[in-house]
Amino acid sequence: MKKLIASLALGTLLVGGFLFAQDSQPSELAHGEAEPSVFNISSVSLVNVY
Amino acid sequence: MEIGSFIKLQRVKQGMTQEELAEGIVSMSYLSKIENQRTEASPEVISMLCTRLGIELDSEKDITIKEKCEQWFNMLFEVNNKDEIIEKYIELNELMTMVRSDSLMMFEIHKIRYFLIMGELDNALEQINSLNEISGTFDSLHLFYWYKFKGNFATTNNEYNQAMRMYRLAEDKINQVNLSDSEIADLQYTIAVTHSKLLNTLEVIEYSNKAIDIFQKEYNFIRCAQCHILLGISYRRIKMYEKAIKHYNLARHLGELNKNNNIIQLTNQNLGYLYSAIGDSKEAIKHYRGAIDDEAVGLNERLIATTNLIKEYYKTHNFEKALEVIEKAKRLLDLAKNNVFYELYYYIIHSYIYAINDQYDQFTKLVIEDLIPYLKKHKDHGNLILFTNMLAKHFEQVGKYKDSVKYYKLANLTYEEIVNL
Repeated sequence: MKKLIASLALGTLLVGGFLFAQDSQPSELAHGEAEPSVFNISSVSLVNVY
Repeated sequence: MEIGSFIKLQRVKQGMTQEELAEGIVSMSYLSKIENQRTEASPEVISMLCTRLGIELDSEKDITIKEKCEQWFNMLFEVNNKDEIIEKYIELNELMTMVRSDSLMMFEIHKIRYFLIMGELDNALEQINSLNEISGTFDSLHLFYWYKFKGNFATTNNEYNQAMRMYRLAEDKINQVNLSDSEIADLQYTIAVTHSKLLNTLEVIEYSNKAIDIFQKEYNFIRCAQCHILLGISYRRIKMYEKAIKHYNLARHLGELNKNNNIIQLTNQNLGYLYSAIGDSKEAIKHYRGAIDDEAVGLNERLIATTNLIKEYYKTHNFEKALEVIEKAKRLLDLAKNNVFYELYYYIIHSYIYAINDQYDQFTKLVIEDLIPYLKKHKDHGNLILFTNMLAKHFEQVGKYKDSVKYYKLANLTYEEIVNL
Protein backbone atom coordinates (compact mmCIF):
# COMPACT_ATOMS: atom_id res chain seq x y z
CA MET A 1 0.00 0.00 0.00
CA LYS A 2 2.79 2.41 0.98
CA LYS A 3 4.58 1.60 -2.26
CA LEU A 4 1.44 2.36 -4.22
CA ILE A 5 0.98 5.73 -2.52
CA ALA A 6 4.66 6.55 -2.98
CA SER A 7 4.59 5.67 -6.67
CA LEU A 8 1.36 7.65 -7.15
CA ALA A 9 2.90 10.68 -5.47
CA LEU A 10 6.04 10.34 -7.56
CA GLY A 11 3.98 9.99 -10.74
CA THR A 12 1.98 13.13 -9.90
CA LEU A 13 5.18 15.06 -9.26
CA LEU A 14 6.67 13.92 -12.54
CA VAL A 15 3.57 14.80 -14.55
CA GLY A 16 3.33 18.14 -12.73
CA GLY A 17 6.97 18.85 -13.44
CA PHE A 18 6.54 17.97 -17.10
CA LEU A 19 3.48 20.20 -17.46
CA PHE A 20 5.29 23.02 -15.68
CA ALA A 21 8.27 22.67 -18.00
CA GLN A 22 5.94 22.75 -21.01
CA ASP A 23 4.24 25.93 -19.82
CA SER A 24 7.49 27.57 -18.83
CA GLN A 25 8.52 27.85 -22.44
CA PRO A 26 8.62 31.46 -23.57
CA SER A 27 5.21 32.64 -24.61
CA GLU A 28 6.39 35.68 -26.49
CA LEU A 29 9.72 36.08 -28.17
CA ALA A 30 10.33 39.39 -29.83
CA HIS A 31 13.62 38.49 -31.44
CA GLY A 32 13.42 40.85 -34.35
CA GLU A 33 12.16 38.30 -36.82
CA ALA A 34 8.50 38.47 -37.66
CA GLU A 35 6.28 35.55 -38.65
CA PRO A 36 3.38 36.06 -41.03
CA SER A 37 -0.13 36.15 -39.57
CA VAL A 38 -2.31 33.06 -39.24
CA PHE A 39 -5.30 35.15 -40.31
CA ASN A 40 -5.04 37.51 -43.23
CA ILE A 41 -4.03 36.49 -46.68
CA SER A 42 -5.06 39.08 -49.21
CA SER A 43 -7.90 40.51 -51.17
CA VAL A 44 -5.56 41.27 -54.06
CA SER A 45 -6.12 39.17 -57.18
CA LEU A 46 -3.64 36.38 -57.61
CA VAL A 47 -1.24 35.97 -60.50
CA ASN A 48 -0.06 32.65 -61.83
CA VAL A 49 3.73 32.59 -61.69
CA TYR A 50 4.56 28.91 -61.63
CA MET B 1 -27.19 19.29 -36.33
CA GLU B 2 -29.62 17.29 -34.21
CA ILE B 3 -32.88 19.01 -33.35
CA GLY B 4 -32.30 18.46 -29.60
CA SER B 5 -28.95 20.26 -29.64
CA PHE B 6 -30.47 22.96 -31.80
CA ILE B 7 -33.29 23.59 -29.30
CA LYS B 8 -30.83 23.64 -26.41
CA LEU B 9 -28.55 26.09 -28.22
CA GLN B 10 -31.41 28.45 -29.06
CA ARG B 11 -32.83 28.25 -25.53
CA VAL B 12 -29.42 29.00 -23.94
CA LYS B 13 -28.83 31.85 -26.41
CA GLN B 14 -32.18 33.41 -25.50
CA GLY B 15 -31.51 33.02 -21.79
CA MET B 16 -34.61 30.85 -21.29
CA THR B 17 -34.80 28.14 -18.62
CA GLN B 18 -35.99 24.61 -19.41
CA GLU B 19 -39.04 25.30 -17.25
CA GLU B 20 -40.02 28.39 -19.25
CA LEU B 21 -39.66 26.63 -22.58
CA ALA B 22 -41.43 23.43 -21.55
CA GLU B 23 -44.37 25.04 -19.77
CA GLY B 24 -47.67 23.87 -21.23
CA ILE B 25 -45.96 21.83 -23.98
CA VAL B 26 -44.03 18.99 -22.34
CA SER B 27 -42.65 18.20 -18.90
CA MET B 28 -39.28 19.62 -17.95
CA SER B 29 -37.69 16.19 -17.73
CA TYR B 30 -38.99 15.30 -21.20
CA LEU B 31 -37.51 18.53 -22.62
CA SER B 32 -34.24 17.63 -20.99
CA LYS B 33 -34.35 14.24 -22.72
CA ILE B 34 -35.10 15.90 -26.10
CA GLU B 35 -32.21 18.35 -25.67
CA ASN B 36 -29.78 15.61 -24.73
CA GLN B 37 -30.98 13.38 -27.59
CA ARG B 38 -32.14 10.60 -25.32
CA THR B 39 -35.56 10.58 -26.96
CA GLU B 40 -37.13 11.57 -30.27
CA ALA B 41 -40.01 13.98 -29.86
CA SER B 42 -42.99 14.09 -32.22
CA PRO B 43 -42.97 16.74 -34.99
CA GLU B 44 -45.86 18.54 -33.24
CA VAL B 45 -43.85 18.95 -30.02
CA ILE B 46 -40.80 20.15 -31.96
CA SER B 47 -42.94 22.59 -33.87
CA MET B 48 -44.48 23.98 -30.65
CA LEU B 49 -41.08 24.36 -28.99
CA CYS B 50 -39.67 26.12 -32.06
CA THR B 51 -42.69 28.46 -32.20
CA ARG B 52 -42.09 29.41 -28.55
CA LEU B 53 -38.44 30.09 -29.41
CA GLY B 54 -39.65 32.24 -32.33
CA ILE B 55 -38.10 30.01 -35.00
CA GLU B 56 -39.49 28.84 -38.34
CA LEU B 57 -38.97 25.29 -39.59
CA ASP B 58 -38.49 25.71 -43.30
CA SER B 59 -36.21 23.34 -45.21
CA GLU B 60 -36.14 25.45 -48.39
CA LYS B 61 -34.90 28.48 -46.51
CA ASP B 62 -32.32 26.27 -44.86
CA ILE B 63 -30.70 25.46 -48.21
CA THR B 64 -30.26 29.18 -48.91
CA ILE B 65 -28.85 29.72 -45.43
CA LYS B 66 -26.42 26.87 -45.94
CA GLU B 67 -25.10 28.46 -49.13
CA LYS B 68 -24.81 31.85 -47.49
CA CYS B 69 -22.96 30.29 -44.57
CA GLU B 70 -20.49 28.56 -46.88
CA GLN B 71 -19.78 31.91 -48.57
CA TRP B 72 -19.29 33.63 -45.22
CA PHE B 73 -17.01 30.89 -43.87
CA ASN B 74 -14.81 31.25 -46.96
CA MET B 75 -14.72 35.01 -46.49
CA LEU B 76 -13.21 34.50 -43.04
CA PHE B 77 -10.21 32.86 -44.72
CA GLU B 78 -9.88 34.71 -48.00
CA VAL B 79 -11.22 38.23 -47.75
CA ASN B 80 -9.51 41.13 -46.06
CA ASN B 81 -12.37 43.56 -46.53
CA LYS B 82 -13.93 43.68 -43.08
CA ASP B 83 -17.03 45.56 -44.21
CA GLU B 84 -18.05 42.73 -46.53
CA ILE B 85 -17.59 40.19 -43.73
CA ILE B 86 -19.61 42.30 -41.26
CA GLU B 87 -22.44 42.83 -43.74
CA LYS B 88 -22.80 39.11 -44.40
CA TYR B 89 -22.51 38.35 -40.68
CA ILE B 90 -25.40 40.67 -39.78
CA GLU B 91 -27.57 39.14 -42.50
CA LEU B 92 -26.86 35.58 -41.37
CA ASN B 93 -27.27 36.40 -37.71
CA GLU B 94 -30.77 37.72 -38.37
CA LEU B 95 -31.70 34.71 -40.49
CA MET B 96 -30.46 32.27 -37.86
CA THR B 97 -32.72 33.69 -35.17
CA MET B 98 -35.79 33.19 -37.37
CA VAL B 99 -35.25 29.92 -39.21
CA ARG B 100 -34.13 26.53 -37.93
CA SER B 101 -30.97 25.70 -39.83
CA ASP B 102 -28.61 22.75 -39.82
CA SER B 103 -25.78 25.23 -40.32
CA LEU B 104 -26.44 27.01 -37.03
CA MET B 105 -23.84 25.18 -34.98
CA MET B 106 -21.17 25.69 -37.63
CA PHE B 107 -22.14 29.36 -37.78
CA GLU B 108 -21.83 29.70 -34.01
CA ILE B 109 -18.38 28.05 -34.07
CA HIS B 110 -17.17 30.29 -36.93
CA LYS B 111 -18.23 33.33 -34.93
CA ILE B 112 -15.10 32.74 -32.81
CA ARG B 113 -12.88 33.32 -35.86
CA TYR B 114 -15.06 36.24 -36.91
CA PHE B 115 -14.60 38.00 -33.55
CA LEU B 116 -10.86 37.33 -33.68
CA ILE B 117 -10.56 38.85 -37.16
CA MET B 118 -12.51 41.87 -35.96
CA GLY B 119 -10.18 42.19 -32.96
CA GLU B 120 -13.07 41.65 -30.52
CA LEU B 121 -11.24 39.33 -28.13
CA ASP B 122 -13.79 39.61 -25.33
CA ASN B 123 -16.59 38.57 -27.65
CA ALA B 124 -14.51 35.66 -28.92
CA LEU B 125 -13.93 34.47 -25.36
CA GLU B 126 -17.60 34.89 -24.50
CA GLN B 127 -18.53 32.84 -27.58
CA ILE B 128 -16.06 30.09 -26.60
CA ASN B 129 -17.52 30.00 -23.08
CA SER B 130 -21.11 29.84 -24.29
CA LEU B 131 -20.28 27.04 -26.75
CA ASN B 132 -18.35 25.09 -24.10
CA GLU B 133 -21.67 24.13 -22.53
CA ILE B 134 -22.84 22.34 -25.69
CA SER B 135 -19.50 21.19 -27.07
CA GLY B 136 -20.34 17.64 -25.92
CA THR B 137 -22.83 17.39 -28.82
CA PHE B 138 -20.32 18.42 -31.52
CA ASP B 139 -19.61 16.00 -34.37
CA SER B 140 -16.09 15.53 -35.79
CA LEU B 141 -16.37 18.38 -38.29
CA HIS B 142 -17.62 20.76 -35.60
CA LEU B 143 -14.74 19.62 -33.39
CA PHE B 144 -12.18 20.31 -36.12
CA TYR B 145 -13.19 23.97 -36.34
CA TRP B 146 -13.83 24.23 -32.59
CA TYR B 147 -10.24 23.21 -31.79
CA LYS B 148 -8.79 25.23 -34.65
CA PHE B 149 -10.51 28.46 -33.63
CA LYS B 150 -9.77 27.91 -29.95
CA GLY B 151 -6.15 27.60 -31.12
CA ASN B 152 -6.54 30.86 -33.06
CA PHE B 153 -7.79 32.49 -29.86
CA ALA B 154 -4.71 31.27 -27.96
CA THR B 155 -2.47 32.46 -30.83
CA THR B 156 -4.02 35.92 -30.62
CA ASN B 157 -3.25 35.95 -26.89
CA ASN B 158 0.36 34.89 -27.60
CA GLU B 159 -0.20 31.59 -25.73
CA TYR B 160 1.55 29.40 -28.26
CA ASN B 161 1.83 26.21 -26.20
CA GLN B 162 -1.91 26.22 -25.62
CA ALA B 163 -2.49 27.07 -29.30
CA MET B 164 -0.34 24.13 -30.34
CA ARG B 165 -2.34 21.74 -28.13
CA MET B 166 -5.55 22.89 -29.85
CA TYR B 167 -4.13 22.66 -33.37
CA ARG B 168 -2.91 19.14 -32.64
CA LEU B 169 -6.43 18.15 -31.58
CA ALA B 170 -7.79 19.66 -34.80
CA GLU B 171 -5.15 17.81 -36.79
CA ASP B 172 -6.28 14.52 -35.21
CA LYS B 173 -9.76 15.13 -36.66
CA ILE B 174 -8.53 15.49 -40.26
CA ASN B 175 -8.81 11.76 -40.96
CA GLN B 176 -12.32 11.53 -39.55
CA VAL B 177 -13.89 14.26 -41.68
CA ASN B 178 -14.08 15.21 -45.29
CA LEU B 179 -12.09 18.42 -45.63
CA SER B 180 -10.87 20.25 -48.72
CA ASP B 181 -7.13 20.33 -49.38
CA SER B 182 -7.05 24.06 -48.78
CA GLU B 183 -8.55 23.58 -45.31
CA ILE B 184 -5.89 21.01 -44.48
CA ALA B 185 -3.13 23.26 -45.85
CA ASP B 186 -4.43 26.20 -43.82
CA LEU B 187 -4.17 24.16 -40.62
CA GLN B 188 -0.68 22.95 -41.58
CA TYR B 189 0.38 26.54 -42.24
CA THR B 190 -1.09 27.63 -38.90
CA ILE B 191 0.81 24.84 -37.12
CA ALA B 192 4.01 25.90 -38.91
CA VAL B 193 3.58 29.50 -37.70
CA THR B 194 3.02 28.27 -34.14
CA HIS B 195 6.09 26.02 -34.24
CA SER B 196 8.08 28.99 -35.47
CA LYS B 197 6.90 31.04 -32.47
CA LEU B 198 8.00 28.17 -30.23
CA LEU B 199 11.36 27.89 -32.01
CA ASN B 200 10.72 24.29 -33.13
CA THR B 201 12.69 24.79 -36.32
CA LEU B 202 12.56 21.33 -37.87
CA GLU B 203 8.80 21.10 -37.41
CA VAL B 204 8.37 24.48 -39.12
CA ILE B 205 10.23 23.17 -42.16
CA GLU B 206 8.14 19.98 -42.22
CA TYR B 207 4.75 21.70 -41.94
CA SER B 208 5.60 24.61 -44.25
CA ASN B 209 6.68 22.19 -46.96
CA LYS B 210 3.49 20.15 -46.58
CA ALA B 211 1.34 23.29 -46.80
CA ILE B 212 3.27 24.84 -49.68
CA ASP B 213 2.67 21.75 -51.84
CA ILE B 214 -1.07 22.29 -51.60
CA PHE B 215 -0.99 26.08 -51.85
CA GLN B 216 1.01 25.82 -55.09
CA LYS B 217 -1.55 23.48 -56.61
CA GLU B 218 -4.33 25.85 -55.61
CA TYR B 219 -2.47 28.94 -56.90
CA ASN B 220 -2.68 30.54 -53.46
CA PHE B 221 0.51 32.52 -53.85
CA ILE B 222 0.15 34.75 -50.84
CA ARG B 223 0.08 31.73 -48.55
CA CYS B 224 3.01 30.28 -50.59
CA ALA B 225 4.94 33.48 -49.89
CA GLN B 226 4.07 33.27 -46.19
CA CYS B 227 5.39 29.69 -46.11
CA HIS B 228 8.61 30.83 -47.83
CA ILE B 229 9.03 33.46 -45.09
CA LEU B 230 8.62 30.77 -42.42
CA LEU B 231 11.21 28.64 -44.22
CA GLY B 232 13.53 31.64 -44.44
CA ILE B 233 13.27 32.20 -40.69
CA SER B 234 13.90 28.51 -39.99
CA TYR B 235 16.94 28.18 -42.24
CA ARG B 236 18.35 31.38 -40.73
CA ARG B 237 17.98 29.83 -37.29
CA ILE B 238 19.96 26.76 -38.29
CA LYS B 239 22.51 29.03 -39.98
CA MET B 240 21.81 27.87 -43.55
CA TYR B 241 21.90 31.47 -44.72
CA GLU B 242 21.97 30.93 -48.48
CA LYS B 243 18.89 28.75 -48.33
CA ALA B 244 17.18 31.29 -46.08
CA ILE B 245 17.94 34.13 -48.51
CA LYS B 246 16.62 32.02 -51.39
CA HIS B 247 13.28 31.54 -49.60
CA TYR B 248 13.02 35.22 -48.66
CA ASN B 249 13.68 36.21 -52.27
CA LEU B 250 10.99 33.81 -53.46
CA ALA B 251 8.58 35.31 -50.94
CA ARG B 252 9.41 38.84 -52.06
CA HIS B 253 9.03 37.87 -55.70
CA LEU B 254 5.55 36.50 -55.00
CA GLY B 255 4.69 39.57 -52.93
CA GLU B 256 5.73 41.89 -55.75
CA LEU B 257 3.83 39.94 -58.38
CA ASN B 258 0.70 40.06 -56.25
CA LYS B 259 1.31 43.66 -55.18
CA ASN B 260 1.10 42.61 -51.55
CA ASN B 261 2.88 45.18 -49.40
CA ASN B 262 2.67 43.11 -46.23
CA ILE B 263 4.67 40.28 -47.77
CA ILE B 264 7.29 42.65 -49.19
CA GLN B 265 7.61 44.44 -45.83
CA LEU B 266 7.86 41.20 -43.89
CA THR B 267 10.54 39.90 -46.25
CA ASN B 268 12.60 43.10 -45.93
CA GLN B 269 12.28 43.00 -42.16
CA ASN B 270 13.45 39.40 -41.94
CA LEU B 271 16.22 39.82 -44.52
CA GLY B 272 17.42 42.82 -42.52
CA TYR B 273 17.53 40.65 -39.43
CA LEU B 274 19.44 37.92 -41.26
CA TYR B 275 22.11 40.32 -42.54
CA SER B 276 22.37 41.89 -39.10
CA ALA B 277 22.91 38.42 -37.60
CA ILE B 278 25.77 37.68 -40.00
CA GLY B 279 27.33 41.08 -39.36
CA ASP B 280 26.55 42.68 -42.73
CA SER B 281 25.20 46.00 -41.41
CA LYS B 282 25.12 47.67 -44.81
CA GLU B 283 22.73 45.09 -46.25
CA ALA B 284 20.76 44.95 -42.99
CA ILE B 285 20.19 48.72 -43.04
CA LYS B 286 19.19 48.60 -46.72
CA HIS B 287 16.48 46.04 -46.00
CA TYR B 288 15.25 47.65 -42.79
CA ARG B 289 14.91 50.93 -44.68
CA GLY B 290 12.75 49.13 -47.23
CA ALA B 291 10.61 47.80 -44.40
CA ILE B 292 9.87 51.15 -42.72
CA ASP B 293 9.13 53.32 -45.70
CA ASP B 294 5.89 51.69 -46.78
CA GLU B 295 3.01 53.44 -45.06
CA ALA B 296 0.50 50.91 -46.26
CA VAL B 297 1.68 48.19 -43.88
CA GLY B 298 0.74 47.75 -40.24
CA LEU B 299 2.04 50.04 -37.54
CA ASN B 300 3.38 47.15 -35.49
CA GLU B 301 5.45 45.84 -38.39
CA ARG B 302 6.86 49.30 -39.09
CA LEU B 303 7.74 49.74 -35.42
CA ILE B 304 9.63 46.42 -35.37
CA ALA B 305 11.61 47.46 -38.45
CA THR B 306 12.24 50.96 -37.07
CA THR B 307 13.58 49.76 -33.73
CA ASN B 308 15.77 47.25 -35.54
CA LEU B 309 17.12 50.00 -37.76
CA ILE B 310 17.96 52.14 -34.71
CA LYS B 311 19.76 49.13 -33.17
CA GLU B 312 21.77 48.62 -36.37
CA TYR B 313 22.83 52.27 -36.63
CA TYR B 314 23.75 52.27 -32.94
CA LYS B 315 25.76 49.09 -33.38
CA THR B 316 27.76 50.68 -36.21
CA HIS B 317 28.19 53.94 -34.18
CA ASN B 318 26.29 55.92 -36.80
CA PHE B 319 24.52 58.01 -34.13
CA GLU B 320 23.45 60.81 -36.44
CA LYS B 321 21.46 58.43 -38.61
CA ALA B 322 20.14 56.67 -35.52
CA LEU B 323 18.75 59.97 -34.20
CA GLU B 324 17.10 60.63 -37.57
CA VAL B 325 15.32 57.28 -37.38
CA ILE B 326 14.44 57.91 -33.74
CA GLU B 327 12.50 61.02 -34.81
CA LYS B 328 10.55 58.88 -37.26
CA ALA B 329 10.04 56.26 -34.57
CA LYS B 330 8.61 58.85 -32.17
CA ARG B 331 6.00 59.83 -34.74
CA LEU B 332 5.07 56.19 -35.26
CA LEU B 333 4.91 55.71 -31.50
CA ASP B 334 2.41 58.56 -31.19
CA LEU B 335 0.13 56.72 -33.60
CA ALA B 336 0.51 53.43 -31.76
CA LYS B 337 -0.69 54.34 -28.27
CA ASN B 338 -3.19 51.47 -28.25
CA ASN B 339 -0.72 48.90 -29.55
CA VAL B 340 -0.11 45.98 -27.15
CA PHE B 341 3.63 46.42 -27.59
CA TYR B 342 3.55 50.21 -27.10
CA GLU B 343 5.33 49.98 -23.74
CA LEU B 344 8.15 47.86 -25.23
CA TYR B 345 8.77 50.19 -28.17
CA TYR B 346 8.57 53.21 -25.89
CA TYR B 347 11.24 51.80 -23.57
CA ILE B 348 13.53 50.68 -26.41
CA ILE B 349 13.34 53.93 -28.33
CA HIS B 350 13.91 56.06 -25.22
CA SER B 351 16.79 53.88 -24.06
CA TYR B 352 18.56 54.66 -27.34
CA ILE B 353 17.75 58.36 -27.09
CA TYR B 354 19.35 58.51 -23.62
CA ALA B 355 22.30 56.34 -24.63
CA ILE B 356 23.12 58.38 -27.74
CA ASN B 357 22.72 61.73 -25.94
CA ASP B 358 24.93 60.56 -23.05
CA GLN B 359 22.05 60.97 -20.57
CA TYR B 360 23.31 58.05 -18.55
CA ASP B 361 21.27 58.61 -15.40
CA GLN B 362 18.03 58.47 -17.35
CA PHE B 363 19.36 55.56 -19.40
CA THR B 364 20.24 53.38 -16.41
CA LYS B 365 17.01 54.31 -14.60
CA LEU B 366 14.82 53.43 -17.60
CA VAL B 367 16.63 50.19 -18.40
CA ILE B 368 16.83 48.95 -14.80
CA GLU B 369 13.40 50.01 -13.58
CA ASP B 370 11.25 49.57 -16.68
CA LEU B 371 12.84 47.81 -19.62
CA ILE B 372 14.52 44.85 -17.90
CA PRO B 373 11.44 43.97 -15.75
CA TYR B 374 9.25 44.21 -18.88
CA LEU B 375 11.55 41.95 -20.91
CA LYS B 376 11.82 39.43 -18.06
CA LYS B 377 8.05 39.34 -17.66
CA HIS B 378 7.49 38.77 -21.37
CA LYS B 379 10.41 36.35 -21.68
CA ASP B 380 11.87 38.44 -24.49
CA HIS B 381 15.32 36.91 -24.25
CA GLY B 382 16.78 38.50 -27.37
CA ASN B 383 16.20 42.07 -26.23
CA LEU B 384 17.08 41.18 -22.64
CA ILE B 385 20.57 40.06 -23.68
CA LEU B 386 21.04 43.14 -25.85
CA PHE B 387 20.06 45.69 -23.19
CA THR B 388 21.69 44.02 -20.19
CA ASN B 389 24.91 43.91 -22.22
CA MET B 390 24.54 47.59 -23.11
CA LEU B 391 23.98 48.44 -19.46
CA ALA B 392 26.88 46.28 -18.27
CA LYS B 393 29.20 47.87 -20.83
CA HIS B 394 28.17 51.33 -19.64
CA PHE B 395 28.88 50.44 -15.99
CA GLU B 396 32.24 49.00 -17.02
CA GLN B 397 33.19 52.21 -18.83
CA VAL B 398 32.40 54.37 -15.81
CA GLY B 399 34.24 52.01 -13.47
CA LYS B 400 31.23 50.61 -11.65
CA TYR B 401 32.54 47.08 -11.91
CA LYS B 402 30.20 45.52 -9.36
CA ASP B 403 27.12 46.66 -11.30
CA SER B 404 28.80 45.74 -14.54
CA VAL B 405 29.39 42.15 -13.42
CA LYS B 406 25.78 41.91 -12.20
CA TYR B 407 24.37 42.72 -15.64
CA TYR B 408 26.93 40.74 -17.64
CA LYS B 409 25.90 37.81 -15.47
CA LEU B 410 22.22 38.41 -16.23
CA ALA B 411 23.01 38.57 -19.96
CA ASN B 412 24.96 35.35 -19.68
CA LEU B 413 22.21 33.53 -17.80
CA THR B 414 19.62 34.67 -20.35
CA TYR B 415 21.85 33.48 -23.16
CA GLU B 416 22.12 30.06 -21.52
CA GLU B 417 18.34 29.95 -21.24
CA ILE B 418 18.02 30.54 -25.00
CA VAL B 419 20.58 27.86 -25.77
CA ASN B 420 18.67 25.40 -23.60
CA LEU B 421 15.34 26.07 -25.30
